Amino acid sequence: MPREHKEYRSKTRIYVDVLDSLLKRGGKSGPTRLLLGANLSHERLTKHLTQLIDLGMVSEETGGNDRVFKLTDKGRAFILEFVKVEKFAEAFGITI
Amino acid sequence: MSPQLLAFLVFIMELTSSFISILVGYQAFKGYKASSAKGLLFLHLGFMILGIGIFLRAITAVFFVLIIRTTETIPSSLVGLSNFAGMIFTITQLVAYSLFIATYVLQAKSLRQQNLEVEGSIAAAIFPVVRLFYIPTLELLAITMLGFVAVSSLMNWLHQRNLNSALVFLGFGFMFLSHLLFLFMIFDELLLFFGQVMQLIGFVCLLIMLVKVNKTRA
Repeated sequence: MPREHKEYRSKTRIYVDVLDSLLKRGGKSGPTRLLLGANLSHERLTKHLTQLIDLGMVSEETGGNDRVFKLTDKGRAFILEFVKVEKFAEAFGITI
Repeated sequence: MSPQLLAFLVFIMELTSSFISILVGYQAFKGYKASSAKGLLFLHLGFMILGIGIFLRAITAVFFVLIIRTTETIPSSLVGLSNFAGMIFTITQLVAYSLFIATYVLQAKSLRQQNLEVEGSIAAAIFPVVRLFYIPTLELLAITMLGFVAVSSLMNWLHQRNLNSALVFLGFGFMFLSHLLFLFMIFDELLLFFGQVMQLIGFVCLLIMLVKVNKTRA
């Protein structure tokens, strides 16, 4: 779902890109792969991950020096709902 | 077909159309809540207003029929009231179609793509055909507005090339056709029935799109 061409991304779109990046990696990933997957700077990724953790869509596991982020059931449900919304909007020519 | 059966079928078709319209409006609201996209808000309001308008027209029509059946002569106040109700319904339609237009105009502004100029020129070529039937009534204004919406949805389908956008185009296209038939029902009242059939087919296309979208898996 991350877009190839540069354009303004809404906050919701960034959330979905981060969650989708996690989903594509089997539901858990370290921050470096997420940076690439969601096309975000470290600072912005940290900010958005904190918000996603607060929303209960992502959980954080710390083991030694490694930080691993996991997609929660709420996060999976959000992606599914967003995909439906996106398809619905696209049918009417609305980009979200 | 007897007039009673015809009226009953029209009533059922209107109720079904209004129900589908409200369903589409609800889905647009869910989309707006998840994404905050203004276009979805306009769609939500448009389909909700349209659905409620159609529902109220169907109910009002039944109410008037019941009153007429109990009286031997139709009171002039009732005729005035039915005309007023008809005008209110047409205005709700115009508001709904204005919101659909706003959806497409808003999207066109945000995209700022060159191909939109092509869309504009095709739309401009189609509108003189509509103007040939120019009669200064609200119904004609509704046809023109829905024509714009149908052409915009056609352009979207040509751009997206997927079944969902095709169904939306068919939905608005059939609604456009239904209004053309409503306009000419002064020549043959049966056109009201066929107009309702077209309108229902349009809403069924939107319903199929809605079902397809909700079957999507991530």
